[in-house]
Amino acid sequence: MKKNIIILLLLYFQTVNAQNKTSPFETDIQAAVFSISKVMMHDVVNPPAAARYYAYCLLGSYEIVSQNDTSLIPVSKFIKEYKPDFIEAKKSDYNYKVAALYCILETGKLMLPSGYMLQEDEDEFIKQLKLSKFSEKIIQKSLIIAAEVAASIVDYSKGDNYGKLSAKLRYTPLKGDQYWYPTPPAYIEAIEPNWRIIRPMFIESSGQFNPSPLTPFSKDTTSAFYKLAKEVYDISKNQPQENINIANFWDCNPFTVSTSGHMTIGFKKITPGGHWMNIAGIVSKKAKLTFNNAIVVHTLISLTLMDGFITSWNEKYKSNRLRPETYINRYMDTKWVPVLQTPPFPEYTSAHSVISTASAAVLTYLLGDNFSFTDNSEVIYDIPPRDFHSFNEAAAEAAVSRLYGGIHYRDGVENGQKEGKILGEFIIEKIRSAGVKAFNK
Amino acid sequence: MGENKLYLNLGNMKFKDITREACPGLEGRKGGWKTGVTMADVNGDGLMDIYICYSGKVDKDVRRNQLFINQGNLKFVEKAKEYGLDDPGYSTQAVFFDYDNDGDLDMFLINHNVKKIDNMEFAKLRNDVDEFAGDKLFENQNGHFVDVSKKAGIHQNPLTFGLGVAIADINQDGWQDIYVTNDYNEPDYVYINNHDGTFTEKSKDYFRHMSHFSMGVDIADFNNDCLPDIVTLDMLPEDNKRQKLLQLQENYESFQLMIDQDLGKQYMHNMLQLNNGDETFSEISQLAGMSNTDWSWCPLLADFDNDGYKDLFITNGYFRDYTNKDFLRYWGDYKIKKAMDREPVQLLDLIKAMPVTQYPNYIFRNNHDLTFSNKQKEWGFDQPKISSGAVYVDLDNDGDLDLVVNNINENAFIYKNQSREKDNTSYLAIKLKAKGLNTNAIGAKVYVYASGLVQYQEVNPNRGYLSCVSTVLHFGLGNLKKADSVKIIWPDQSRELLTDISVNQKLVIAEKNNGEREIKKTITDKPIFIKTPSIINYKHEEFTENDFKRQPLMLFMYSKTSPVIAKADVNKDGLEDLFISGDKNKPGKIYVQQSNGKFAPAAVDIGDENTSAISAASFFDANGDGFPDLYIAKGGYSIWEPNTAGLQDELYINDGKENFSLAPQNSLPNMSASSKSCVRPCDYDNDGDIDLFVGGRIIPGKYPSSPKSFLLNNDGKGHFTVISTPFDSIGMVTDAQWADINGDGRKDLIICGEFVPVKIFINTINGFVDETNKYFDKPENGFWFSLAVADVDGDGKDDIIAGNLGLNSQIHISEKEPAELYYADFDNNGSLDPFFSFYIQGKSYPYVSRDELNDQIYPMRKKFHSYKDYADATINEIFSKEQLAGAQKLTATEDQTMCFLNRNGKFVKSVLPIQAQFSTVSKIIAKDFNHDGKMDLLLLGNHSDNRLKLGSIDANYGCLLNGDGKGNFFYINQPLSGLSVTGDTKSAEEITIAGEKYIVIGISNVGLVFYKEISK
Repeated sequence: MKKNIIILLLLYFQTVNAQNKTSPFETDIQAAVFSISKVMMHDVVNPPAAARYYAYCLLGSYEIVSQNDTSLIPVSKFIKEYKPDFIEAKKSDYNYKVAALYCILETGKLMLPSGYMLQEDEDEFIKQLKLSKFSEKIIQKSLIIAAEVAASIVDYSKGDNYGKLSAKLRYTPLKGDQYWYPTPPAYIEAIEPNWRIIRPMFIESSGQFNPSPLTPFSKDTTSAFYKLAKEVYDISKNQPQENINIANFWDCNPFTVSTSGHMTIGFKKITPGGHWMNIAGIVSKKAKLTFNNAIVVHTLISLTLMDGFITSWNEKYKSNRLRPETYINRYMDTKWVPVLQTPPFPEYTSAHSVISTASAAVLTYLLGDNFSFTDNSEVIYDIPPRDFHSFNEAAAEAAVSRLYGGIHYRDGVENGQKEGKILGEFIIEKIRSAGVKAFNK
Repeated sequence: MGENKLYLNLGNMKFKDITREACPGLEGRKGGWKTGVTMADVNGDGLMDIYICYSGKVDKDVRRNQLFINQGNLKFVEKAKEYGLDDPGYSTQAVFFDYDNDGDLDMFLINHNVKKIDNMEFAKLRNDVDEFAGDKLFENQNGHFVDVSKKAGIHQNPLTFGLGVAIADINQDGWQDIYVTNDYNEPDYVYINNHDGTFTEKSKDYFRHMSHFSMGVDIADFNNDCLPDIVTLDMLPEDNKRQKLLQLQENYESFQLMIDQDLGKQYMHNMLQLNNGDETFSEISQLAGMSNTDWSWCPLLADFDNDGYKDLFITNGYFRDYTNKDFLRYWGDYKIKKAMDREPVQLLDLIKAMPVTQYPNYIFRNNHDLTFSNKQKEWGFDQPKISSGAVYVDLDNDGDLDLVVNNINENAFIYKNQSREKDNTSYLAIKLKAKGLNTNAIGAKVYVYASGLVQYQEVNPNRGYLSCVSTVLHFGLGNLKKADSVKIIWPDQSRELLTDISVNQKLVIAEKNNGEREIKKTITDKPIFIKTPSIINYKHEEFTENDFKRQPLMLFMYSKTSPVIAKADVNKDGLEDLFISGDKNKPGKIYVQQSNGKFAPAAVDIGDENTSAISAASFFDANGDGFPDLYIAKGGYSIWEPNTAGLQDELYINDGKENFSLAPQNSLPNMSASSKSCVRPCDYDNDGDIDLFVGGRIIPGKYPSSPKSFLLNNDGKGHFTVISTPFDSIGMVTDAQWADINGDGRKDLIICGEFVPVKIFINTINGFVDETNKYFDKPENGFWFSLAVADVDGDGKDDIIAGNLGLNSQIHISEKEPAELYYADFDNNGSLDPFFSFYIQGKSYPYVSRDELNDQIYPMRKKFHSYKDYADATINEIFSKEQLAGAQKLTATEDQTMCFLNRNGKFVKSVLPIQAQFSTVSKIIAKDFNHDGKMDLLLLGNHSDNRLKLGSIDANYGCLLNGDGKGNFFYINQPLSGLSVTGDTKSAEEITIAGEKYIVIGISNVGLVFYKEISK
């Protein structure tokens, strides 16, 4: 079995290399985004914060491209609050693609805690530019534009209340059996309990789209809630390997803690948002989109992710529902451990379901339904690629994976999907009315 | 893993390895993980046998423990199975002792789980039995050992992680008790012998908190009061750098889960549990100066310098820094990088990624005053190494104790003690030979009396870690020429007294027949206080808010202000009545004393703790009608906001018929700017009505900016107006007292506070004048909690007694090494960012961890790239000069509780005894409690709701100090004072009930406790 995976991995890497060859470095958005993802993995950036970083990192590149390609709809047409300082990037004496890619790195460098680590990627990028046909003057000018735009975007980001989070009351678990409590093994404090105050992109407020009410808590073995928990428990017993593969594929836990005696290790992965950003990269290549259109796809997905997490996090800390692991340990089986490690925030709804469904909706709008692709985002974590026939298929799998993983109840998953669908439709309507068209039409 | 070794002592520090000749197999079983070793005369034939423990994730037969029976000719035969002792558990150490006092040696075996259980919802697991992890008690039944664990009440759950065991008669009842240290979340066990073959685990009764990751343990009397004290070891480093690199992040939820699961309060530092003699222990490791010795294994209390007091040796070290935070947070990057480079991840790389740090073992000299001094360098223990088990023993019979220390991946060390060579000190070695099968007199007690000093030891060789010392007892005797007497209490409780014993000899004493029975000594002196059943049945439930969720960088919580009490005779029937504040489930009430000494609540409800918190109260006659009215100050922290109704104080007017009504709103000015700490009525302007000082404690959410304090002037009808004073914004006031300091007939105001000195404001016709500098040599900024004024030296002048933080925490401050607190809204996000710095090893370092810093000021995340990068940072590396110049700064230089004696117009600092420094002092009552005509002091306190890395400060059980009338005070021990007050004292009053004097004490989350005072 292990041998098979290795062969599979080898095959994959050969494919990746082949793909990379066909994709020139100066237009490889996926690579630039992954540079950001790597730093976020290093810093253990949590899922909502990661989505926020992706959004700002892509906004600058969109700004540059849209000023150079009038067929792109200006950001201000679909983001009401988009009012950065005046950015002038409409010049001819630089390469806007180079600037757009560099802007992703530069914004990350400015914003991310360990942004300094992106210096290496920037240096490598510049080195490659110099080795290619780009003139020193063009390079310099492009980098300056990129840096100006990045700085302006970072300034704009400061108005989104992120800096005020540390002035807010931290989370104290509520008294009551129905409420969330930190989970094993590390019992990490609640992540971003005040995320609802973050200024969203498309939507008006964090509370604009609320999911249907959750199944009320009960310890009664005949209750609907007990049955929901029992379903999670039962699924975990004698689960087919394929379910476990699915759970692992969509795990996307930035910090899985493993202990052995006094030693504690954190295993890292990209966040759910990081996974969908990578899907955006994969399918942009598969669809052979122009650089400009690929920037549109990446940017719209990053903005969708940001709003998806704001929406989802609002509900999580409104309902404060306990995780299946807590419920099952208390009322069914003290020793039960879920397939996936329970993430450190309340259960309802499944944020992965929300953001996956919303992202799939936006991708479907842009690239069409029945778009088949191979998702190899998790290969670096020893998880083989998976094939999908459509974005919605991928999103549905991501959603149900949380049930297989034992970290969400079914209503958290399904109501999260509905929430994500409504959000996705809202975003599509917003961009459609702004003039963003599907690429295949 | 190396082989076992048996060395024969040839004298003159020459040893011969006789392992092979002694017995085939004595070198240890291959494949098994060899752990503890014990020597004992198991079969009572007068020869030392050897018991070896095994562990490891191997076949259970490979880890069966071995018993090598001594044949008398330097030959041994392995007979564990025959004796019933070939236990296959994951064993750590065995001890042989006589738990049932039947004259033969039984065995207690500590084991550990090889798997750490992470899930803390394990209340249910605590009743499970794990046959390999659970500890075991074996009863010796005619030479065969039978597992009696279950019957005896021994915990055997899978959470057991026994690392250390020591035996002693902890409660001095003539029966052997057992102390077991457990690593991880399972608390240590103290099994108290019930005299009937069973034990009761009493750690929750005996200890206020315990070490979290407990390793080795020793039990011995280190302060020569003939009571066994307990040392347990943990992992807190001494230096700032390793604390920053290794100390776990505070986690209030998992701490609460431990409390909810009845695991008690456990903190990561060494513990020194001082035996109070009344079945309570005061944990004073931080006061004693031995709490932080890094990853520590083996504690040994013994008199290494022969000065009559036991010193402390501690081994430490581990292969790798397993808890290194850079490793925890960033090792995952390596794995991803390897995957991207398509290289396999090596297990060895993982181990190698953890830094290696070697550091020296610790040795401490006993200062004879409950504290220790580090003597690593002076006594020759400065080489870095990784040590584990150790024993003390006089290997060369030269009268001082040498040390044998086992090391990891290195030969054992022998430290030859040169102290006698150097100082020519006296000693007495005592070897007991008991009758019957317990030939080495395990469990015997020896008291050596010399020149007014008494030393106490028990023959219990199992102590430390994985080791077993000699059964020869060693007593240092300074420069004395003789011991006045030696008292022996043999294991069968027969007593023997030897007198006039010359020093510098090894006394071998064989037990005589028909020895006199030891009669358990009873306390002949009547205690000064007697705890009585609650006269008012009042239980208190504390706020559950965690103040650190609002301002994570404070040191203490400020929410928990109750129960507040105040006394007065409200109906003028000659009986004192009591106001007691409520909690979330009940309002405050005035309890009116009935003629039969019982109390009945008056109808009025006072305060709703769901919307505000009562933080102080005082009865005084506000409207001059002769009946005491009640002033209620609001305070706390919780989620209260300044300038909202929840912080507005209230005045209740008394009609003298037990009816209290809320005074009209205009009676009081707006008092809601801050939380208040104290209400002190006084007719400061001598106009015949009672005015008030109301101290401001804190502005909720805005620590540590100065809250408002108020001087309220009474118009004589109960209407109060604010008078502007120099002390209305003086800082975080905790207490105040009125006293006529300068004798001009006007009461002056003494104020103290957190980061505020004890200050004196002289009350002049033209207003209050700060004359602190005139009365004190220098301002004494401290963490003051309380003030009392009394003439303690009988010179007719008021002295000041001020309660402080004490010496028993990680915070140690002095004029030279002050506590510093910078605060500002450094990141301009609307919240105050307070940063403490304390001195560690001579340098001031920020108290904030990298994670806490990054969480408080997001831009800091870009400043320090790793924990290592941050580990050496001082406040000057965190903030720029400009930032610090723009910040506010507070300092504190004194943490001790003290008297300020009024001498020639100056208040002269006089530090109270060390027992007064065991904990915070929040209430002080000055009175002649023992009726000797001289003023005594009762100090009450404790502060448990602190930052987790500060831990619970809780070693005060009611500290009674006997005054000599000259300003000196002497600690009265707990059995003699009769006080055993556990928990955080929030209020205390003396009250007369049915003609008898009582002290009533309000304890957070408990309620009221009553102590009756002895009458004259």
